Amino acid sequence: MIQRHTDLVANVVAFCRYLRAYGFRIGPEEEATALRAAALVTLNDRGTFALALQVSLTRSVQEVAEFKVLFERYWRELENALDSKIKDDESQRSKYQKNTQPSFNALKSWLNGNRNTEETETATYSPTESLSHQDFSLIPADQLADLERLLREVSLALARKVNRRREKTLHAKAFDLRGTLRRNLRRGGELIDLAYKRPRRNRMRLVVLADVSKSMDLYSAFLIQFLYAFQNVFRRIETFVFSTDLHRVTAELKQQNFQEALKKLAESETGWSGGTRIGGSLHTFVTDYGKLLNRETIVVILSDGWDTDDTRDTGTLAETMQRIQQKSRKVIWLNPLAGRAGYEPRTAAMQAALPHVDVFAPAHNVESMRALGKWL
Amino acid sequence: MIPDLPHIADLLKTQGYITEPAVTMAVYLSMQLQKPLLIEGPAGVGKTEIAKVMARALDTDLIRLQCYEGLDASHALYEWNYQRQLLHLKMLETRQGTPGAVDALEEEIFGEKFLMKRPLLQAITHHKSPVLLIDEVDRADEEFESFLLEVLSDWQITIPEIGTIRATHIPQVIVTGNRVRELSEALRRRCLYLWIDYPDYEKELAIVRGKVPQISAQLAEQICRFMQELRQLRLEKTPGIAETLDWATALSTLHFDHLPQEIIEQTLGVILKDWKDTRTAQLSLSELYEKMGVVSKIEEL
Repeated sequence: MIQRHTDLVANVVAFCRYLRAYGFRIGPEEEATALRAAALVTLNDRGTFALALQVSLTRSVQEVAEFKVLFERYWRELENALDSKIKDDESQRSKYQKNTQPSFNALKSWLNGNRNTEETETATYSPTESLSHQDFSLIPADQLADLERLLREVSLALARKVNRRREKTLHAKAFDLRGTLRRNLRRGGELIDLAYKRPRRNRMRLVVLADVSKSMDLYSAFLIQFLYAFQNVFRRIETFVFSTDLHRVTAELKQQNFQEALKKLAESETGWSGGTRIGGSLHTFVTDYGKLLNRETIVVILSDGWDTDDTRDTGTLAETMQRIQQKSRKVIWLNPLAGRAGYEPRTAAMQAALPHVDVFAPAHNVESMRALGKWL
Repeated sequence: MIPDLPHIADLLKTQGYITEPAVTMAVYLSMQLQKPLLIEGPAGVGKTEIAKVMARALDTDLIRLQCYEGLDASHALYEWNYQRQLLHLKMLETRQGTPGAVDALEEEIFGEKFLMKRPLLQAITHHKSPVLLIDEVDRADEEFESFLLEVLSDWQITIPEIGTIRATHIPQVIVTGNRVRELSEALRRRCLYLWIDYPDYEKELAIVRGKVPQISAQLAEQICRFMQELRQLRLEKTPGIAETLDWATALSTLHFDHLPQEIIEQTLGVILKDWKDTRTAQLSLSELYEKMGVVSKIEEL
């Protein structure tokens, strides 16, 4: 009986480790909770046991789904033989590697700051393997989680920048002496009603225009992650994607989970991985959504500046960029290529746009995204 | 003292909450381990209801803190009733108290009499362990969330003028979220987790029958089948169980015993609250109706 019990403790702890390997954040405290929970239920019913662990070890709906699969797998493996667990794990991993797409490998290598591999990966990437119907969910979920978390941290940090000016509020937090005196003047200076102030809320509106054309394929997965994280943090944000045409994707990105957002995006007719008409797309933006722009709007354009339209279009682009800049507070152009050593914005489109851009900055890794905070 | 697992299932059932094992387990463990329970899920699936049912089952009070943007500590914890303090002083002035009594006076106006307890303070000073519902925590600002963590881990609140108030009873905490904003990892780690999804047909039917007892069997089945199909559409605001129940109540009050297409059209407003959704539903109404497996009147003729 005692033997059985210690077995259980060891197994629960081992299972916690197993979950940790799949990206669950489980520390000693969670392990303790799981053990206490396991001790509270009868062990002869596997479903009940699973539920007890599920309630104590999961933290989000995604984790609940993953948990169910992992639980089954783990305890099945355990039943078969204890050693086979490790082997199976390895075969699982190699399967993942086969699935990974070149674009994702390149993405990963940049995140690790390895430029060399990035270039070789770019070279081996074959244009025949069309990504126009790219299934985003193929990106291995375990690695995605890390990236997602990182991006969320960055965007949270960006959103959290509090304004140092104060505004009036009804909530008692900081006493507003001046306001109070003014309000009570007519009562002969007896202070009856109090006034308060608080840090002024960030009223900034963000408009993101992201290039999702073919030349941006390498970055798209990464950018979408960022847009998603951003969208869920900033309340006042509108997101558009463009290649040959412009699409508003704010609603799609507002999905509750990322996989769903990807699915919605892939389903929508956004013309992923097509050619680029930067000028045309931005023109559509100004004419159709120009009302989004005012002195409180920061426009962020994410594009490498490769335009498939011939040079005729650059006139439109310059003109449009000028209008955007005039109507908004600030225009930030983030270019993934600008992170490379020796990059010069030589494409015609980039040349046309640059005079009307307030900030031109690289956007090739998480670090550069973090630097975005400076400009917002 | 704390009921065991089958007992909780019974309690929930007798309180009219049709449940699934995951819910029972979460409620049970949250009571046993004295940990807050974080419940997430789409709107209208009965997250808040769990707290209410729990309070009734445990025969205790439910203290509710509804979160909103801009909610801050003073609204959740306590406030001094400044106006009353001032009036009190004014009244004393006319009586011309002795100058030495200033300290005593200060103690008096910062006493319990002028303290307005807000939900969190109420919860920890309650005469017996209540159920504390922190509803829609994702609507509150992040700073409030961090503040909440502090209270939830220490169960004590410091009021500068009075001192530290320690919890007399640790409340049973239910935190709900609609995923308006991503909650912090810290809060998640502090809680047990439960996800409630839209119910399947069987469960929904059981709920409707339980909550709207006067409904005819045929109408209940048709309503539930329709709702199941409706949720498959891409809607801005997918209707939850609350809407199903509203609809069931409305239709049964009107003495319908089945669900004709015209009536669906006329009463769509009960379940759909967004004009775009209403339009979407209207356009696919015939299709939905067919999927329900109901023979339309034309075919009958």
